[in-house]
Amino acid sequence: MLIKINNLKKTYKMGEVNVEALGGVSFQIEEQEFVAIIGPSGSGKSTLMHILGCLDQPTAGNYFLDNEDVSRVSDDKLAEIRNKKIGFVFQQFNLLPKATILQNVSVPLIYAGVRGRRKQQHLAEKALQMVGLGDRMNHRPNEVSGGQRQRVAIARALINNPSLILADEPTGNLDSKTGKEIMKIFHQLNKEGHTIIMVTHNQEIANQAQRVIQIRDGLIQRDEVIA
Amino acid sequence: MILEILRMSLDSLTANKLRSFLSMLGIIIGVGAVIAIVSVGSGAQSQVTSQISQLGSNIINIGPGISRGRSGRISFSATDVFTMELAEQLMRNCPSLKNIIPSVQASGLLIASNTNYQTSIIGVTPSYQEIYEYYPAVGQFVTTDHEENASNVIVLGAGLAEELFPGENPLGAKVKLFIRNRNLLFTVIGVMEEKGTGAMGNLENQAFIPASVILKKINNRKYVNGYTAQALSSETAKTAVGEIEYFLTRYLTDTNKFRITSQEQILETINQVTGTLSLMLGGIAGISLLVGGIGIMNIMLVSVTERTREIGIRKALGAKRKHILSQFLIESLAMSGFGGLIGIGLGWVGAVGVAKIGGWPLVVTHTSVVVAFSFSLLVGLFFGIYPARKAARLDPVIALSYE
Ligand SMILES: Nc1ncnc2c1ncn2[C@@H]1O[C@H](COP(=O)(O)OP(=O)(O)OP(=O)(O)O)[C@@H](O)[C@H]1O
Ligand SMILES: [Mg+2]
Repeated sequence: MLIKINNLKKTYKMGEVNVEALGGVSFQIEEQEFVAIIGPSGSGKSTLMHILGCLDQPTAGNYFLDNEDVSRVSDDKLAEIRNKKIGFVFQQFNLLPKATILQNVSVPLIYAGVRGRRKQQHLAEKALQMVGLGDRMNHRPNEVSGGQRQRVAIARALINNPSLILADEPTGNLDSKTGKEIMKIFHQLNKEGHTIIMVTHNQEIANQAQRVIQIRDGLIQRDEVIA
Repeated sequence: MILEILRMSLDSLTANKLRSFLSMLGIIIGVGAVIAIVSVGSGAQSQVTSQISQLGSNIINIGPGISRGRSGRISFSATDVFTMELAEQLMRNCPSLKNIIPSVQASGLLIASNTNYQTSIIGVTPSYQEIYEYYPAVGQFVTTDHEENASNVIVLGAGLAEELFPGENPLGAKVKLFIRNRNLLFTVIGVMEEKGTGAMGNLENQAFIPASVILKKINNRKYVNGYTAQALSSETAKTAVGEIEYFLTRYLTDTNKFRITSQEQILETINQVTGTLSLMLGGIAGISLLVGGIGIMNIMLVSVTERTREIGIRKALGAKRKHILSQFLIESLAMSGFGGLIGIGLGWVGAVGVAKIGGWPLVVTHTSVVVAFSFSLLVGLFFGIYPARKAARLDPVIALSYE
């Protein structure tokens, strides 16, 4: 069991008003699962992903990652978990605009303490080849297409070989053809052993997953395994 | 890892060259000012000091005491205490003394065959030459014989000799001294070397006659104004002052009747004054360093805001607080450190320029360079820490959604 969450709640304070983004969510995810999370806008999908990705902490409830309770640990400990165990792919790519593609992919290596420029470059090249971007490594992100940028982001997400890859609408900014290519990469990664959790608005993409969790108003409405 | 973070910081600085330079300007000016001011201060100080020590830092002046008269006015008390005999007694009783000469002088008109010249006439004994390291260029100085016999001999300053005997050899010539409605006839026995104008005033146009002549033939009294004494060395000057003080206090039974000033004391006072001045100017320069630091803090805060998203991305990818903190701290340190180096260069150039104009030696001490550089680093650290901490504490989710 890779993930176990237990009655997870997240409340945002907006002045006097409390916004309950997650109202008590519980589920378990096994290793090598491919899970899609769907739901209407504002239902709490991203909030959930941020907590699963250790970018944020729940207001209440527990989160066990690899049997370790990470719902109440220090910022630096969370950073270490993000670096080692989690790869995050965002809708807006979130690449560093001034760095080259190779440098972008290498960033997690720096914080992992991987020493030596050669070694870093070698690992980054390998990751880029996996996503089909062996060339163009010395270009900057704005010099390549959206689909290629998302490939860079995926390469960056998997460079430290994390068990968990989280993707928040990774195809949201891409046309459907490019989206399909990106989905192929995720399936490939899943096959290689990475657990994948993906938020999507696209029913067709959701149907490619092994399991779909539907969220509404911060609560799980449906959680079903597809054939 | 620190190497990579260093590279990141430098990359970001070089990406905004103009902005980085403008932010450094405050530090550059501050450090430049510190270097230049300290150098100018110590240059001027060393010049004044060397002028004074030309006189000899072992010189001690003994003069009448200062007392407050009626209505609080400062007046010199009676001078009828210093005699030639007392000088001899001082010499005998103060083992740290090498020489002592009376201070006695007059002002009169010197008349040669064609010209005359109004000037000061200094009463001297042979030791005068040693004390002031001032010797005749031709002929001889006043000797002990001349002094004992009160002989009418005169030694002319180089400039004076030229005035009275232009283009002639004055040795053996006669000059008349017209003083207090009397004429005295002197034989020229020497002409002094040229010494220029020093801290003692213009020596070139003075004349020197035996002190006894002034006392016996002009003033007709046995008292002199005071003494100029010379200690065995600069190190024993303080001891000598103590010995003189002890002896005179016992001899005159009144400490108000005399006053001892040593070159040492004057030097100390001057050093104190220039020291205070340097400190004050240094303080002003320090303020500009402070302003420079605030400039750096300002630009770092802007930079943190601008790069909020980058910080969010780095945190999402596993950057800990210390990584973000050091990245931004290195940036501000690099700016202040590099600014400091440029400032040291500019300050040096400024110091060279001012030293040329002021005509004193260039003094840029290691200490001032090291202190200025470390201070600029300190400024970078101090003013960089707040923005860097702000960056390091950003919440990753909020930072990532920052537009
Ligand atoms: N930082 C925040 N402060 C206050 N409220 C927030 C914050 N982040 C999210 N919310 C609120 O929490 C709720 C869930 O937001 P979330 O971003 O998780 O939705 P989502 O399912 O990802 O929506 P979308 O499909 O549009 O991305 C929303 O009502 C949102 O307004
Ligand atoms: Mg969302």
